[in-house]
Order: sequence, then structure tokens, then C-alpha cells
Amino acid sequence: MEIRFERIEGSSPQYHLLLLVFAAMAAAGFIATWWVIEKGIWVTGMTSRVPWGLQIVMAVYYIGLSAGSLVISGLYGVFGKLEYKPFARIAVYIAMLFLIAGLLSILTDQGRMDRVFVEPFVYFNLQSMFSINPILYIGHILICVVYLWALFTERKKLTTVIATLAFGWAFCVHSGTGAIFGFGARVLYESPLLPASFVAAAMASGTALMILVIVGLFRITRRPVDDELIVWLGRFLAVCILVVVYFLIAENAYRVYVVELRQAALYYLFSGLHGVLFWFGLMIGGLGIPMLILFNRRTGKSINWIVTASVLVVLGVLCERYVIVLPGLTHPPELFPGMEITSSVIEEGVVSYSVSFAEILQALGVFGVIGFLFVLGLKTFKLLPTEARTLDNTASPD
Amino acid sequence: MDRRDFLKVAGGTLLTATSCAYAFRFLTASSTIWAESGSPWSQRKWGMVIDLTKCREDCTACISACRRENNVAHHGDVRWDVHWIRKVNIRSKADSQGIEKPMLLLCNHCDKPPCAQVCPVQATYKRDDGIVIVDHHRCIGCRYCMIACPYNARQFNFKDNEDWPNTEQPKRSHGVAEACTLCAHRLDKGMKPACVEACENAGGGALLVGDLNDPDSDISRIISTRAVKRIREDLGTEPKVHYIGL
Repeated sequence: MEIRFERIEGSSPQYHLLLLVFAAMAAAGFIATWWVIEKGIWVTGMTSRVPWGLQIVMAVYYIGLSAGSLVISGLYGVFGKLEYKPFARIAVYIAMLFLIAGLLSILTDQGRMDRVFVEPFVYFNLQSMFSINPILYIGHILICVVYLWALFTERKKLTTVIATLAFGWAFCVHSGTGAIFGFGARVLYESPLLPASFVAAAMASGTALMILVIVGLFRITRRPVDDELIVWLGRFLAVCILVVVYFLIAENAYRVYVVELRQAALYYLFSGLHGVLFWFGLMIGGLGIPMLILFNRRTGKSINWIVTASVLVVLGVLCERYVIVLPGLTHPPELFPGMEITSSVIEEGVVSYSVSFAEILQALGVFGVIGFLFVLGLKTFKLLPTEARTLDNTASPD
Repeated sequence: MDRRDFLKVAGGTLLTATSCAYAFRFLTASSTIWAESGSPWSQRKWGMVIDLTKCREDCTACISACRRENNVAHHGDVRWDVHWIRKVNIRSKADSQGIEKPMLLLCNHCDKPPCAQVCPVQATYKRDDGIVIVDHHRCIGCRYCMIACPYNARQFNFKDNEDWPNTEQPKRSHGVAEACTLCAHRLDKGMKPACVEACENAGGGALLVGDLNDPDSDISRIISTRAVKRIREDLGTEPKVHYIGL
């Protein structure tokens, strides 16, 4: 099958406007980050009791999107599904950009950003998940670069090798990210299932993102794409959602069942904003409705419905990242079993957290940076194919 | 530049950078090891006993002394104030009308400190004498140690601290984590920690710091003869702060 890749022309006013919008977002993020550096992290609204906030949520989310997108590129690279070759380049490029977004989110969350470039590599701590993960992340970006190079230069053997490596590496990347929380000391973090459920959510969100990117890009640039390719991705997404649901039920059923964890589990499931996000954002909106859409015989074959389901999954997994990170912090560690703290000079019990303006600007800024690079990349590199067809519809199969 | 040249330059750069990084690490680490192994305190293991029966509810002498000695930040906002040592009141959950008793919380200087385990840059480490300490010049401010500490004892400097009462100790700047150092700088000089001294001066005598490795020390004697408890011993972190009357 002969597939021709090309750059987009990128001369329309809309293209330049999009670049400008992303640049403005990046600038806003830069200003917010400068403000945080100057004033201190308190301007983000994080406190002694809730020392991680939106930036960590976004970092985990972006890294998941990256790992998931890379898995989609593996459909061609690892499993040899030739009909998905047209999406391989864009999938790897997006995987690389979202990993950069994850790293930028982590970087801008540090109290001393100036030390991040040297200390973690010089004073590497093999016991810390925060030490191991940067190695996985940087390795992931390097693998993406080599993978892209192999795809651009049409090196079939190298593509298979690097795609297989990337496939395995993506699993490690997201398992490692899950382990940051799963191996933690907080009641609502501690779970050996968390790395695996992180991978499942990453696959779901990455697949949904790729469906949105493919359908969106091909429609905007008026490139033909066979519906069957998108429908198959929709089915793959449905399976990923099932796995995510399985892990969520297993994890929460365990917490509710075990007496000593029950109070924390009920707090997680039915309290505050995170309770609303869990049920309405994730379980119903992000997983339930998309499953109904994708498993339905009629809507499961409609591109518009698949796109709707994908939008819901992308937003649902963002809610999932929020309900993993925040409730684990706002719920207090039990210092004195059987006792309660009646007064203190700090916030000891359940505390609240709300996303601050500075954090929103920082998150938008990171998205602006990779959005800018994505739009620029479409013009600079031959990322998009002229068309995407199923093997049955191609005139000259390879 | 052809591919061969590119690989040569890239490989050379990577090799040089790695060599420099490890040379830097070797040079800085060697001086630290020398200082610690040469220290007369390296055979010691510092621990603390807090006798809650002697701790008066209205007294905050230890907290004030700690703030003065270590320039601990106080901004007047409960969300960002730093507390190396804090006083809370606790009571039994079974008896909501029961008696409240005061309780002092500080870094437990765990023998197996989770904060040091998770620190990605080894800025938090346990000294040979058992004190868990943060290197403020190395901490990147990731706050993973705060997540890992099961005692909520790790603190973070969210803001710059304008107060600098003790100019012999560093002024606290924002962006790094910290916790009680057991006044290691005073112990190294043979002095008592500021909180222990303040408690004695206030007539309390509720705090005692001593060498857990010395069976004849006051602290070892108290631990072996009195009913002492440690917070959340079940977690296996082996805290070195012991409580009487908990």
C-alpha cells in the first residue's frame, strides 16, 4: 500500500490565528509561572495540607494521553496493521508533545525550578518514584524522536523494533506514574492496582484523543478517511473503557469492604467536588454514556457519535486524574487511631482545595506550548497522509 | 554535518556531561562523608521523649523557642504557616465529652524515613546519628516528602520569611521543604535543642533528648522503665520520638 505523506500549506488566516491563540496561551502561562516563582507557591492556592494541585493533575493526565497515543501508533508499528499506517506519524508526534506537556507541568510545579535540570540527575535516588520517572519520561521522548525518524525515512525493520520498544516503554511510563501515588503513604493513594489502572485509563484517553485528532484534522484539511478505521478505534476505545471500569470497581469495592478503609472510601465516593466529579464526570459522563454509545449497534458505527463518546472519555479521564490526586490529600492521615484532634494550629481534619487562577493559567500555558508546536509541526513535517483507506479500498495493496 | 559527525558530537557531549555530573557528585559527596565519619557523634542515635503528663496546656515555650532558634516562618495564615513543632489537643473518639489532652507533634526522625526514601534528589537524608534532615541547597521543592510523611510533620516554605531573629541560622526562603532538625547544629556543639532548653526554663521538663544507643543515658533508662508509646508504630517507620502519657 503506497501512502503519501505531506505537509499542510499553513498559509490561511485561520492557521495563523490558531498559532496566535496558542502563543497567547503560552505567554499567559509563562507570566503566571513567573509570578509563582517570584511570590512563592502559595499563589497557586496549595497549602501545607494540600501540597499538590492542578499542575500535578494535568501532568498525570498529559502523560496518560501521551502513553495512550503511542499505543495507537503501535497498531501499525507493532501489530503490522497497515491500514493504520497513515495515523502512525501523527500519533507518535502527539505522544511526544504530550510527554513534553507532562514534563512542563511537573517543572512549573516545583518550588525551585532552577534546580530541576541538574540535581535529579546528579543525586539520583533509585528508591524514589520521582527519580525513576524522569528517566522513563526522557527515554519516552527520545524513543519518540527515533520512532518518528524511522517512520519519516520509511525504515521498516527499525520501525518494528522501535515501535515494540515504545509500546513496552509506554506501559512502563504510565505504570511508573501510577506508582508515584500507588506506593504512597496516603490511605486513598496506596494501592498495588493503581499503576495498572493508570495504564488502562491512559489507553482509553489516548485512544479517544487520537480519534478526535484524526477525525478533526482529516475533516478540517479535507482528507478522505474510511469510516471503518474510526469505527474500529471506537471499538478498541470501548474495550479500554471496560478495563478502566473493572479497575475502578475492584479498587473501590475493596476500600468499601475493608472496615478500616471504609470511612476514607465513603469520603472519596460521596464527598465534595471530587464525589461529583467521580460519579457525574467519570462514571456516568466519562465512561457510562460513552460505553452506551460505542456498544450500541447504530451509534457505535456513527462517526459523530464516536467523536461525542471520545470527547466524553477525554474529559472523563481528566476527572479521573483529579479524583486520584486531590481526595488523597484533602483526606487527613490518621495520626491517632481511636482518637480525634479537637484543636490545632494547622488544618488537621478534612480540608478543602479549589483550583486557583494561577494554576489555570499555568495549565493553559502548557497546553498553549504543545498546541503551538503541534500546529507548527503540521506545516514543518510530513505528518499527515493524503488519505486513509482500509486495505479493501486501496488499489495497490503492499 | 553528516550522520557520522552528528553521532560523534552527540556521543561526546553526552559522555562529557555524564562525566562532569559524576565528578561533581563524587567531589561533593566525599566531603560530606568525611565530615560525618569524623564526627564524634557518629556512634550516637538521637531520640526524644515527650512526657505529656508534664506538658501544660497553656504553655507554648517550646514552639516559640523553636521559631526563634530556627527562623521558622510565621505569616499569620494557617494555610502557609510553618510548624516544626505544633501543639494539638486530642481526645477519645468513643467519648466526645471526654477530657482533652495536649499533644506535641514534630518530625519523628524515623529510623526508616519515608520522606528520605521518596526524595528524588536525596536532599532529605538520615545522618549517622539518626537525625533526618533536609539540605535546603539541594531540595527542588517537589513536595513528595510531604505526601510520603504519615505524620504531617513535613512543612513547606510557601512564602519568603522576612523575620530573621537568629542570624547564625539561615534565613528561610520559599520553595523548599523542611522539618524539625532536632536542633542538630546545637547537638553537634554539645548543647540541648532549643525546645528542650525552653521547656526546662519554663519549669516543665517535659522534653528530653538523648542517645538511644547508650544504655546508661537518661532517655534509654526512661524508655526501658516507663510506659512509652510512639505514633503509628504499626506503619513500620520506627519513629524515634517517644511519648509518656499518650
